Amino acid sequence: MTRRRCFRFTVRLLPLCIVLASSLSAAGLGDDDFDKAEKELASKQYDTALGYFESSLNADPDSLRNSSEYRMATLQRALALQPVVRGQPHEGKPVDFDREIAFFGKLTDAHPKSANAFLAYGFSYVDKIPAAGTIGQVILANTALGFFTKSIELKPTWIALYTRGNSYLYWPRIFGHGPDAVADLERAYAIQKTETRKSVHVRVFIALGDAYWKTDVPDKARAIWREGLKQFPDSQPLKDRMAKDGDALNDYLDTVLDPNKRVDTDLRELWRTE
Amino acid sequence: MSGRFKSALAILVAVPLVVLAASTVTSKIRFEEVGEAAGVRAQHHTHRFDGPHGDVLRMFTSGGASVAIGDYDGDGLDDLFVTDSDAGKTNHLFHNDGNLKFTEVTEKARVGGGNDAHNIVSDALWFDYDNDGREDLLVARFGKPILYHNEGNGKFKDVSATAGFNKFGNTIAVIAFDYDNDGYLDVMLGNYFKPESLTDLKDPHVLPNDLDNAVNGGGVTLWHNNHNGTFTDVTEKAGFGKHTGWTLDLGHGDFNNDGLQDVYLACDYGTDRIFFNNGDGTFREATEKAIGFDTKKGMNAEIADYDNDGWLDIFVTNIYDEYMKECNMLWHNNHDGTFTDVSRETGTCQALWGWGAKFGDFDNDGWQDLFVTNGLRSAGKQNYIPVLLNNVITKPGIDFTDVNVWPNIGDMTWSGYQKKKLFHNLGGQAFKEISAEAGVDNNLDGRGVAIADFDNDGKLDMYQTNADQPSLLYHSVSEGVGNWVQFSLTGTKSNRDAIGARITLTAGGLTQIREIDGGNGYAGQSSKRAHFGIGQAAKIDSVEIHWPSGLQEKISGVAMNKINRIVEGKGIQH
Repeated sequence: MTRRRCFRFTVRLLPLCIVLASSLSAAGLGDDDFDKAEKELASKQYDTALGYFESSLNADPDSLRNSSEYRMATLQRALALQPVVRGQPHEGKPVDFDREIAFFGKLTDAHPKSANAFLAYGFSYVDKIPAAGTIGQVILANTALGFFTKSIELKPTWIALYTRGNSYLYWPRIFGHGPDAVADLERAYAIQKTETRKSVHVRVFIALGDAYWKTDVPDKARAIWREGLKQFPDSQPLKDRMAKDGDALNDYLDTVLDPNKRVDTDLRELWRTE
Repeated sequence: MSGRFKSALAILVAVPLVVLAASTVTSKIRFEEVGEAAGVRAQHHTHRFDGPHGDVLRMFTSGGASVAIGDYDGDGLDDLFVTDSDAGKTNHLFHNDGNLKFTEVTEKARVGGGNDAHNIVSDALWFDYDNDGREDLLVARFGKPILYHNEGNGKFKDVSATAGFNKFGNTIAVIAFDYDNDGYLDVMLGNYFKPESLTDLKDPHVLPNDLDNAVNGGGVTLWHNNHNGTFTDVTEKAGFGKHTGWTLDLGHGDFNNDGLQDVYLACDYGTDRIFFNNGDGTFREATEKAIGFDTKKGMNAEIADYDNDGWLDIFVTNIYDEYMKECNMLWHNNHDGTFTDVSRETGTCQALWGWGAKFGDFDNDGWQDLFVTNGLRSAGKQNYIPVLLNNVITKPGIDFTDVNVWPNIGDMTWSGYQKKKLFHNLGGQAFKEISAEAGVDNNLDGRGVAIADFDNDGKLDMYQTNADQPSLLYHSVSEGVGNWVQFSLTGTKSNRDAIGARITLTAGGLTQIREIDGGNGYAGQSSKRAHFGIGQAAKIDSVEIHWPSGLQEKISGVAMNKINRIVEGKGIQH
């Protein structure tokens, strides 16, 4: 939905249109640069593409679409640069993610009220995690949490609450982040109940159930997964969870929430509706 | 039937057979802990530092519980040297009297010293540096090493000063091997901290500058044997000078089958490194191509051919605990100067907070099993990890190198009470963890492990050291194990200990190799006697030895279920 079309709606819908336009920003400021970036990326001119993405974000810092594509291009570049060697991780090198981190640092300095820029800043740290060592991963994850929190403070959106709540799930139990995960994901769940159903909503059912399971409230976990399956009957992750119990489920969740594995931070699903 | 389908079918048929055979064997491996009865129980004490940094430094130096096995009096029974680390505490030399009875002879032998106000004992190694036929003893320290010359009458003499080991280093590991094949054993020291005195700390910035990619450690020191009882530091010349990592263990072996000894460095807080021997007194680093750079906490470098393909593989322990989910690394040798980590595929990935690990064929089935020690610090109920994470790791702007920023551990536990792992080799393709059934799943804070057949019964025993805790002696009581053969080698043109000699044995349709090593594996030197399990084979088809001198010797008249003594160029000695 473009900003131009938004004005055609009634006054009552205007706030929603503004929110969607500013957060998803399917078109608008920086679009020329975004299009150029996509073209350069298609021809694997990564550095040039990243430059255009950065220009597009400087013009529209709140655009989740632009920041998501920029981060995915960064990841694509990192993987392209690193040869595939059997038995060795193929996650890029830590330094490959420093450009986007530095960029979002400057972007948030320049736009301290941009909730989505802070969200993207947090994602840029998450993107680097698999390429880092085990202790670096903790530092990166903790830094990402800080930026997610900043984003929520500025605007407690569904995506920001889901993101922070989901991030907490990757922390080992000894850090006691389980209740934090439940709190954020319950807020995200409350928001999505008021929205038109989107495919991405299944993620909250999955994550909130995981959060309850990790905080030793298995009945609530199963209830939320069950509810999720009603709304998303084809969801394999939900089916997998409901099919397991006890240690088998613990092992499964440990595998799924392994911080060494790359977390999918591609936000394209956000602008997909059912 | 296509070739590919035939292969797949062969694998489908073969795998269950291997598993079946292995499961039959699994029940056989059993150990009994007999340290007290044998008279070799040794309580280790971690060094206690004075001052406000004391607790933190103690935590960072909590290695030092090591064991070295060697037959110092040449009576055919392997003896034990066990280290302690606190000021005033003595090391222990246990003489093997036979029948699993030992007598402590430390005082008579004069090898108890080493821990004082400025030096902390960390590791030990038996090796015959002067080729006089008697095992000498090197005691590594956070400080300067001590070299004891074996005088041959049950006594030792400190010859450190004349030997030239005059360089201060925070050494945690030592190996001896003949890198230039000149017939004399050289010494490599693995240094953890940079060379600053920890007991008299002038600058508090001595800890790792990065917890995944540290480059401010002590590196290694290579000492060349001058053939006259002295050694010369050739670290730079040999190509090791640029390595400034936190070396925690060293392993040597002929990784590329060119007759030269190569080196693997297991490093804490960052990448391990591998160096190939050029044959001209220098080494070339091949880390990036051979294994890739890693960010793990390398703790142990053990070398063996676990899959009997004729090429040495490398096992490295790392950390797998509540928040550091590193796998161990089982580097399978690809025969082309590169290695592939197959720890996940083989089931050897997780051993918790790993330390020393050793291969040994405990059921004599022809496949080498793997024992792994683990556990950092078992103490009170409170867990140190959240304290560390909240106060150091995730605190912005923290200088990790500064001992002042690390919180005291006090009575807290950090990755403690961990059960040891014994991985039974299932035909070279996979391993099964059997520590509980085998009776070795103790939960002490393990450090070193060394393997020997202390009672010469053809079954391998193990000695485990533990930080701040008593050591353990595991006597093998396995039943129904396979046939075996052992070789005690003496070099003539090669170094007398025959370190680096490779034995290739064929029996029962299986060809196996062993290389005599000079102290591979963290804090534990195994027997220099080579042990082969040969399963139900009724005869040995062939034995060949490639000596470090280059001599290729075929050995005839090998006796099964016996210890065979072989002198270079002269075959079996009766």
